[in-house]
Amino acid sequence: MAARGHVQDPNDRRLRPIYDYLDNGNNKMAIQQADKLLKKHKDLHCAKVLKAIGLQRTGKQDEAFSLAQEVATLEPTDDNSLQALTILYREMHRPELVTKLYEAAVKKVPLSEEYHSHLFMAYARVGEYKKMQQAGMALYKTVPKNPYYFWSVMSLVMQAISAQDEKLAQTMFLPLAERMVEKMVKEEKIEAEAEVQLYFMILERLGKYVEALDMVRGPLGEKLTSELQSRENKCMMMYQRLQLWPECNALSYKLLLKNPDEWQFYLSYFDSLFHLMDKSWSPPNEEEHCVEGPVHTTVAEAVKFVVDRMEEEDKKDSRPLRGPYMACLELIHRLRQRGCPDEEELGDPLELMLQFFGKFGDKPCCITDLKIYLHLLPPEQHTQFENRLGELVPLGEVGEDGFGFPGDTKALQRHLCVCQLSRVLGLQHTLDTEGKLCLITELKAHYHYGLQFGKSCLKTELQFSDTYCLMVAHVYIDLWTETGDENMLWQCLGVLEEGLSYSPSNAQFKLLLLLLFCRLGAFQPVVDLYSSLDAKHVQHDTIGYLLTRYAGSLGQFAAASQSYNFSLRFFHSNQKDTSEYIIQAYKYGAFEKIPEFIAFRTRLNQSLHFAQVRTERMLLDLYTEADITSSLEESVKAMGLCPEEDDIPWDNMRDNRDLTVLFSWDPKDRELTEEHRRLSLEEESVWLKVRSLTLRLLASLALLGHAPSKRNSDKTNENGVSAKSSTLQTLLSQLDLTLQTAAQITEKQTQYPFLGPPSSRLASALSSGSCHCQASALQLSLTLQELETTGLDDSSELQTQICNSFKSLIVQLQELLSRCKGDVLEMKDSRLMTQPSLLETLVFFVEPVVLSGFQEWTGSLQGIVTQALDHVKGQEASLTALKLAALTLGVGHAQTQEECGFTRAAMDKVQTSYLGSLQELGDLLRKRADSLKSLKF
Amino acid sequence: MTTLRAFTFNFDICYNNYGIPFYLQYLAHWPEYFIVAEAPGGELMGYIMGKAEGSVAREEWHGHVTALSVAPEFRRLGLAAKLMEMLEEISERKGGFFVDLFVRVSNQVAVNMYKQLGYSVYRTVIEYYSASNGEPDEDAYDMRKALSRDTERKSIIPIPHPVRPEDIE
Repeated sequence: MAARGHVQDPNDRRLRPIYDYLDNGNNKMAIQQADKLLKKHKDLHCAKVLKAIGLQRTGKQDEAFSLAQEVATLEPTDDNSLQALTILYREMHRPELVTKLYEAAVKKVPLSEEYHSHLFMAYARVGEYKKMQQAGMALYKTVPKNPYYFWSVMSLVMQAISAQDEKLAQTMFLPLAERMVEKMVKEEKIEAEAEVQLYFMILERLGKYVEALDMVRGPLGEKLTSELQSRENKCMMMYQRLQLWPECNALSYKLLLKNPDEWQFYLSYFDSLFHLMDKSWSPPNEEEHCVEGPVHTTVAEAVKFVVDRMEEEDKKDSRPLRGPYMACLELIHRLRQRGCPDEEELGDPLELMLQFFGKFGDKPCCITDLKIYLHLLPPEQHTQFENRLGELVPLGEVGEDGFGFPGDTKALQRHLCVCQLSRVLGLQHTLDTEGKLCLITELKAHYHYGLQFGKSCLKTELQFSDTYCLMVAHVYIDLWTETGDENMLWQCLGVLEEGLSYSPSNAQFKLLLLLLFCRLGAFQPVVDLYSSLDAKHVQHDTIGYLLTRYAGSLGQFAAASQSYNFSLRFFHSNQKDTSEYIIQAYKYGAFEKIPEFIAFRTRLNQSLHFAQVRTERMLLDLYTEADITSSLEESVKAMGLCPEEDDIPWDNMRDNRDLTVLFSWDPKDRELTEEHRRLSLEEESVWLKVRSLTLRLLASLALLGHAPSKRNSDKTNENGVSAKSSTLQTLLSQLDLTLQTAAQITEKQTQYPFLGPPSSRLASALSSGSCHCQASALQLSLTLQELETTGLDDSSELQTQICNSFKSLIVQLQELLSRCKGDVLEMKDSRLMTQPSLLETLVFFVEPVVLSGFQEWTGSLQGIVTQALDHVKGQEASLTALKLAALTLGVGHAQTQEECGFTRAAMDKVQTSYLGSLQELGDLLRKRADSLKSLKF
Repeated sequence: MTTLRAFTFNFDICYNNYGIPFYLQYLAHWPEYFIVAEAPGGELMGYIMGKAEGSVAREEWHGHVTALSVAPEFRRLGLAAKLMEMLEEISERKGGFFVDLFVRVSNQVAVNMYKQLGYSVYRTVIEYYSASNGEPDEDAYDMRKALSRDTERKSIIPIPHPVRPEDIE
């Protein structure tokens, strides 16, 4: 923060030391220095503001605010004060106050370009589009510079975009914006490319495609030079909107001749071709088909065009492009869709794909390319295809283990591609158990053999043969899910740990390990894995769910809290970041980016995951902290929780989860479908609703239970209490309804692909009885509250009701606890068995117990808590006693000594993690038990 | 084969390495310099991001490559070269004298690739890359390629002495 203005200004000299202290983070000294200065110069307002900044930064928000307001009410017009206040308000997250500041300044100094411009930006920061429009105009009238005029126009476009009523956008805002631009066009005042871009945006949004097209093709379009192919791209877009298929076709053709690798133009070329065929279009005259040149209208022309492109590539000495060969497969695909017999002219898809593999099989992308067109092969050709591909892979002589290996990385890549294709075709899935185990042996041999090619790889680079290792893991998972043999899972973990030891940067290894540990209920190793993934910004939203779904539910409360915080920090910073750059985009005329920035921000604000972590974070704090370190009421107040308010955008929830972040080579029928996505979002939303209602109920309970002077309250206070208890009642019936919906959803028993989204906690929350326990406990609290208002004398009915609810709650809790019994980890016949669901149920037991503890009845509860504690202690003891070293590994399926080591390490991690969860759960229960004991009747 | 398009600011960003403000800054200022390549299946193959800067009067107006990244599965397809070619074309249109970029001296693969694309080492910048976890900071090569406006190719005459990061503009 630097003092601006003239060096001569003596005030600048006086203020300098304070700025310096603030810049260096020495807030105390800044405050002292400001005080000193203010003693001598009472009217040096800026010193006050700088002092306020110091106060704000040392946590004295209230003092800072009132000091700032002292200055603000004087409506300062000196640069120093204005800038300092702007900074202060921004740090206070009160950007709306900046607008007030400059509104006053502009009134006092109406000819200041600088203040007008600050005012515009201040409005931009808070998204006041109408005021931006006016401020932009006022600015232009003060200083007639084009950018200011167009700031105002853009603000009209923003009003259109944000209008709830689309009609208003179409009939008012956009036409007005259009007229404003037209005026400048008529007066020949258009200067910059940005202005033309904006004009185009307006016409496009108005659906005036013909006008937009004319504009782009005309003299104004000549200004569109920064972006490559800007005019062509815009024309193409308009041709498509206007369904001008001849132009679309001809332009695509032209652009493809120039660059035969531009995929999007093959698509528009084919699209337009078939539209023209459907319309039996023929050119109006032979010489000129359309303004863009020659048009193709027959399959024969298209076939020839594609074949010619391939021949061009074949002739080239340099690296061939993939585009033409892929276009050939795409054309076959489209012809087949239309039932058109001409596809034979292009050749047999099997031969074409083999040809493609011959040319590009040594590139890692070959699999992603071919995968798209595998459906062109009939199933009876699959094995033949695999065999023929195999013939194109140069492998060395078959050794004594029965395998031949590739001699270099190109051959390795080809072999790998065949393995992947075989999996995508489903050929691995049809193998029986024995076949799958043989496949594992083969893939492992290739994996280990291939490691020699990557000996000189840096730690940050991947091993060439990593994909083999990942495929081994996938086959193990197949075996585990099909047979239920946990040994397969342990070996899977082992092979992934081994892979990671050779290739420590492989994110796919980490992701799969992370998923498996979570499914196993072992959260501890997950923390390190996730942090080594080095997830950045948006990833906290897209893959954060992998972590936050399990953290709390497995009883790792500290880790859970940490992971929620990671995500929340990202979401909160996003808001501030985007505002700054929206302003930058205005300054530089990057108008088309502004709606993008705003859409991005909205998408994050409406994120399912954001709402989840927000809710879970507060619930976790209440469950683990409230009534232990502080009262429930204090906790609720500190969180700023308001039970009447629901801040979750239920109708616009955005599922930003990346559900295909884990590689999968599963065939189409096993892939994640849109229906899966829909069901998963539905399930998560209902679970979120249960959680958010629970949270609001807790808040409502806290504020109600501790309402002041309940008994002798005057009328208003009584009304206050009853208003709150009716909130409680409303929320309770909402919870009840939600639980009914939840029951219907869990009846569907949706199964997702293994590598797809994890199931929500909904099903286990319901089946464990936890949800109903919580609801009962909350209902009981409400009844207790009624008892307090009614008074003990006239409430015998209520008292009986309470007594019964209480008994039934205790029975429910007892049942819930009994579902936790059993061993989470045990050794049977030298096999290690896990029951992670027990851990999850235990967490489900703890939550309502904690909740029940808020009420002033405890006797039987103490009994149950003691039982639970005994169970936890017992589990801890048996876990500690479990000596995994005694386990003989490698039984049944041959594992080398080294592989056993990795498997054992994974087992140790699971054991330690279970122990960690139990300890955290035990601690929480013990604290709860203590606070129960200390309660007095 | 590839679809090359202007970067629309969306969740594509999640595969990239910098903080969101960094991208926003570039998009707000030089949107034309941000190009992504997309595979037919929709996968993000790679992207390039750059800017135009420098004084025209001192013949230092130029295009700068800030980031160039190609996903591992899409390497060895010539995509980096294609993206570089596009950035150079944009810089040509803006009337730049040259295009420059910084690269770790240890990144031999990248240095060789840029040499193949016509770039040469203009100077070494000492300790340009600050290292984490206790390893020493690393030097950068400032590599340049002259554009057609620099007819005498003055902008790429190497500076023999290494410079410090604070001395570059």
